[in-house]
Amino acid sequence: MPELPTPDDDPITSKSYALYYALATAVLTASLFWALWDEAYGQRPWKEYQEVFQQRYSAFLKTARSKSTQSQKEVESSPDYQKMEQQYKQASDQATPQINKLHDSITDLSAQILAVQNVFTDKRAYVSAVTYEIETDTDPSSKRNRQRDLAKWKQQLFTVAFPDGSRKKYNYEQLEAEYNALKDQRTAANSQLGDVLKPITAIKTQMDQYVSDHMATLTPLQVTGLENKVEDISPAIHQIVIPDPRNSGNPIMVDRCESCHLGIREPLKLTAADMAARGQKPDKYARAFVSHPDTELLDIHDPEKFGCTTCHQGNGRATTSMVKAHGTYEHWLWPLFPKENVEAGCQNCHSRDMVLISGNAGQVISEGKFLFEQRGCMGCHKYQGYNSEPEELRGTDQQIKQLEQQKIDNLKMAAEYTHEGDQAPDNTSANLLYTKAETLKVDNSKIDGQIHQLDLETRDLMRDTKKVGPNLKEIRAKLNRNWVPVWLHKPTDFRRTTKMPNFRLNDEQIRSIAAYLWQTALKDPIPHAAPGDAAHGKELFETRGCLACHSIGEGDQRQGGDFAANLTRVGEKANYDYLVRWVHNPRQRIRPYCPYEKKDIGPEDYAKHGLTYAFDLDHTTCPNDGHELQVENMTVMPSLRLSQQDAQDVASYLITLKEKDPSSYPDASYMDDPKLKAEGEKWIRQFGCAGCHEISGFEDDRGIGTELTQEGSKPIERLDFALFTDMAQRGEGEPITDPVDRARLPEGPAKAPWYSLKGFFEHKLAEPNIFDKGMIKSDTDKLRMPNPHLTPEQIRAITTFLMGSEDTSAIPAAFQYAPEDARRDIQEGWWIVRKYNCVGCHQFYPGQQTVLMGMKRYQDPDWKEQLPPKLLTEGARVSPQWLTKFLANPALSTTDTNRNGVRPYLKVHMPTFFFSDHEIRVLVRFFQALSKQPMPYLPEQVPVLTAKETDMARSLFTSQAAPCLKCHATGDPQHDKFATAPNFLLAKDRLKPNWVARWLIDPQAISPGTSMPSGLFRQQSGHWVFAGPTPPSFQGYEQDQNALLMRYIFQLTPEEQHRLSGMMPRNAAPAKKASNSVPAKGKRASGTLRRSPADQAAALGSGSR
Amino acid sequence: MDWHQLWEIVSAPDNVPIVALVPLLIFYTALAVKQARANDRLIAELEANPQEAKTRYRKAWPFKPGWQKEVHVWPFLLRVEFLAAIIVTAILMVWSISLNAPLEEPSNPNVTMNPAKAPWYFLGLQEMLVYFDPWIAGVVMPTLIIVGLMVVPYIDTNPLGNGYYTLRQRRFSIGTFAFGFLFLWVTMILIGTFIRGPGWQWFWPGQTWDHSRLIYEVNRDLPDLFGITSNMGKVVFGAVVVGGYYLLGGFIVFALFRRHQPKDYRRMSLLQYSIMVFFLLTMVGLPIKMGLRLAMHIKYVWITPYFNI
Repeated sequence: MPELPTPDDDPITSKSYALYYALATAVLTASLFWALWDEAYGQRPWKEYQEVFQQRYSAFLKTARSKSTQSQKEVESSPDYQKMEQQYKQASDQATPQINKLHDSITDLSAQILAVQNVFTDKRAYVSAVTYEIETDTDPSSKRNRQRDLAKWKQQLFTVAFPDGSRKKYNYEQLEAEYNALKDQRTAANSQLGDVLKPITAIKTQMDQYVSDHMATLTPLQVTGLENKVEDISPAIHQIVIPDPRNSGNPIMVDRCESCHLGIREPLKLTAADMAARGQKPDKYARAFVSHPDTELLDIHDPEKFGCTTCHQGNGRATTSMVKAHGTYEHWLWPLFPKENVEAGCQNCHSRDMVLISGNAGQVISEGKFLFEQRGCMGCHKYQGYNSEPEELRGTDQQIKQLEQQKIDNLKMAAEYTHEGDQAPDNTSANLLYTKAETLKVDNSKIDGQIHQLDLETRDLMRDTKKVGPNLKEIRAKLNRNWVPVWLHKPTDFRRTTKMPNFRLNDEQIRSIAAYLWQTALKDPIPHAAPGDAAHGKELFETRGCLACHSIGEGDQRQGGDFAANLTRVGEKANYDYLVRWVHNPRQRIRPYCPYEKKDIGPEDYAKHGLTYAFDLDHTTCPNDGHELQVENMTVMPSLRLSQQDAQDVASYLITLKEKDPSSYPDASYMDDPKLKAEGEKWIRQFGCAGCHEISGFEDDRGIGTELTQEGSKPIERLDFALFTDMAQRGEGEPITDPVDRARLPEGPAKAPWYSLKGFFEHKLAEPNIFDKGMIKSDTDKLRMPNPHLTPEQIRAITTFLMGSEDTSAIPAAFQYAPEDARRDIQEGWWIVRKYNCVGCHQFYPGQQTVLMGMKRYQDPDWKEQLPPKLLTEGARVSPQWLTKFLANPALSTTDTNRNGVRPYLKVHMPTFFFSDHEIRVLVRFFQALSKQPMPYLPEQVPVLTAKETDMARSLFTSQAAPCLKCHATGDPQHDKFATAPNFLLAKDRLKPNWVARWLIDPQAISPGTSMPSGLFRQQSGHWVFAGPTPPSFQGYEQDQNALLMRYIFQLTPEEQHRLSGMMPRNAAPAKKASNSVPAKGKRASGTLRRSPADQAAALGSGSR
Repeated sequence: MDWHQLWEIVSAPDNVPIVALVPLLIFYTALAVKQARANDRLIAELEANPQEAKTRYRKAWPFKPGWQKEVHVWPFLLRVEFLAAIIVTAILMVWSISLNAPLEEPSNPNVTMNPAKAPWYFLGLQEMLVYFDPWIAGVVMPTLIIVGLMVVPYIDTNPLGNGYYTLRQRRFSIGTFAFGFLFLWVTMILIGTFIRGPGWQWFWPGQTWDHSRLIYEVNRDLPDLFGITSNMGKVVFGAVVVGGYYLLGGFIVFALFRRHQPKDYRRMSLLQYSIMVFFLLTMVGLPIKMGLRLAMHIKYVWITPYFNI
């Protein structure tokens, strides 16, 4: 070590640390200020938001105000308003002298009261205090003394100096009286003033009301209110606290979202552009300040009650940063739903709703929920609420077994009691025991009733159980054998829009699966059908309503719905005989299936018991053991009640639909090789084919997929991203390379990290085996989920549905939408409406597009009238009893079934769905509830018409201005060719009287686009009177004439109708109608109906004057 | 080389103290060594020249008239300490503002984190669990460490080195500390932080922490290598090996200690000496066991029905 020169001063004592201290202190002070800043702003970024909001919103309000003033001026310049203003002026001018007088007197009285009050309150306080002392005095003598003193004191005179300078003296009682008298006077004056002002304020209120009624935006006054509010904004956390009803100290939810989203509940519509800084693009502030896009939803779900995070998720308590508040970091388990999946939040409380539409909202989630059922996801994946019938069947089965056991036990016990009773020592105890035995026997009869109900339930459940795919036991009868392996290879190659997903099978698997299916299929022959008329079949197919579910044609040529199969190439796969049978009644099975014996019951089983081989919905018990049989094909396809001939025609048409000849398929005779069967069984089990299809030997198989009821709550660690975990976490790219599958991704190839439920679901749905990529696995270990070939929109819908499928235990039970009233009927009904695709033909809510409405054919005005009826107010229209009957048998006849029961003129027939009793019950309640009708329904009494009224009504009914029978059917085939409206004879059973009365007034309001003309009745002196000319007998009739007509219709007898229709001038179809484009023979061509409602009203008007 | 992974580990708020530990340890050790060597030189100088020792109180400068022989604690020591306090406070403030506590989601017993790591100061203990049974690594060894630290004042008979840094005068104690703490303990903490990934598997720095990584590794017990199958045989064999280690180790330490630390050896009683040897050998046993496990895949040496080592 080099020797340092020794310093003169001791370095330890002389060295100065001042500089170090200065630096360290500066650093410490700086860090202190940093801490203060961090506390005030760094950790409270919402403060800045609130400042910016204040600036931007007041700027916005300024423009809103000028607009509002402008429009207020416009409103105020209207003559109505001017008139009111005049009145106001006049009235106030008139009353002014009186008002002034009253004001003066009130002021004067107030001054006097004040003068008296000053003295009086002082004295009264003294009296009160002394009284208290007297009351609490325990010594009787001093009590008496004090009382005497007080009485004496009260006689004293006190001086009051009045404002006019005068002085008066009062003793205590006089003072009190004077005080009260003055007050009474003032009250009287005040009420007088109120009376005088009343008419004036009334006009003023009227004027204000007029302004707010006639202004689209807020009034300037309201805007001023908002401006004042904005001015008063001082930095504060705005929070919604939802208390826990059971534990008030610990709220369930504290949502501070509105600390930044300040505009969300403003009464004005605020867009990002509105809230952007002047002349600049919307920044993060502008985007945060928008008002809620769907105020209607917000009204239903009041944030004060539901908070924000119930629907949107995110971390409601966090205020330190946007990421924290939105919960979009790895440790917050309920991140904000992205905009495109925002409807996932609905599912938390609305899991019981199949259809969730409110305005523009709810389309995505409803689509997701529907697809989950329709595309057969539920075949493999359990999900509470979906496909519950098999489980319920097992439940009822179990219950029946228990009850039967109980019956046996009861009998045993009863026998024992009787035996004991026989040996009882005395009568009393013997009787007691006999009673016990009797009770048990009565119990048994009750159990019998219960078992019967369960049997019925079982029957309904058997009927309600449906499969997404066809019954594969019938493929020998149904299919071209050589087509099967081709189909299995890749269903979308044959039919692009099929529901059947692609299973990525190798040749070995295809061969063995096809062989198993072929060899286990039923070998019973089916009857041969004669060839039909393909041209007529085509017409039937296109007009009967098949296209509401099925589609035909590929690409741009495609017509029809996507609920069922596209039949463009059906001729390549199907056998003609089977098609005829299927078209005639798709529910008809080759053999019934007994779930108890687990076998298909054939004629030999029936013969054993000497029974005829007949099974249908009325003969559903097994000949061997009396258990309930599955007698229907488990398809939702209804019967269109075609005649055998029509069925042959349709089948003949369908069999012509092909791109290549069925014989050109390569031979697949290996399907008869018994050696392949065992292998095939293994693969069918592996891929869970029985989830969607009925397959011999797999009837009891359950879904092979994971349950998805709470998939949205699954910890991300439980989802296997396999080799792409890091890629997903770091956003290093897109693993899906197949261009077709890549195009399915709703958000496009991944650019950002996608390690989230959303990312997983989307990738899984776009390419289900993507997480096998790069893995070395045996065929049985590979991911089994097939590719459902969805569009990006469909994937988004299902992803939204799954993201919302969460564990809801943290959400208060009261938030769950599980109504017990009629709204539950609506919830339950939608499941059935979607299950059978009723929406393909019928409109249930305004704006809903049916499949038929969108078809080219129905754009033609003539065909438009051929659209099936709208069911917007069906529940209010028809009686539930009738609806029950109609749903069970839409032909409303057991003999003449090839027709529509209500609207014979429609080419589209309401099919027979063979609903179970349960489903009919649910549907009827659904329609009643949808129209807010009470259940059960007690029919209204329609008062009987007097003879005079009958005459009057008849004259209306047959009047030239409204010739009812011209359009309404009468049952006379000649007439009904042209008369297309329902027969009046149906009305009595079918319709609700009150609805008919309303319908007669304005049909367009009830069913827009109906042919029934509006304007038949007009309002006159408080009554509805006929708009056309009326005979003199109507003079002095003081009741509603629409009700008169309704009562007449409800009492119409067939004879009367027949007589009247004979009288009706039947003007044949006008000549111009002959050139009409509707090709049908049963075309209706009534001139009256062709007119637009406006024409009709004009015609009526000219007639009446 | 997965830089992303490396950065993720280094930048985790949990690991800030450990990342800081490395340079800080190096710096302060170097500083201490520098001072100790300066002192050692001075000691050598003064021993050679006892005259100088009378005038020389400070290690860097000789005595000068006017200089105090002793200086007061206040202000001369405290002003430095207070300066340090200010600096430390500033560091803590900046740290606490800029890095939030690494809180995670609410615990879910169905989903445990992987890897689940102890706080940094316990990572050494957690790493020991790889090499020993839980109750040895978690109970016996920590107890021995604490007891061992407690007995240090009683077995340290060397009076030198009070109040100044020195290497020469305390070579043995400093060496033991350097080995036990600076090397062994810190290394285990670093392994626990940077090396152990999901499944507590060994990932070299820069290797991706893949949760589904599979490795083939079979661990054997030492008796198996020698073909001992009977339980009794294993007990006896293990006792012989462990006993042999302490015996043989005792001889080696005896030979070396007597040769290199004769003064210490002479000053120590038998009890002090044997306690020292026991703790020393136990401490050295840890890296030996680690080596056996990591390099030779040997799980246990001594297997008994009651405990395994």
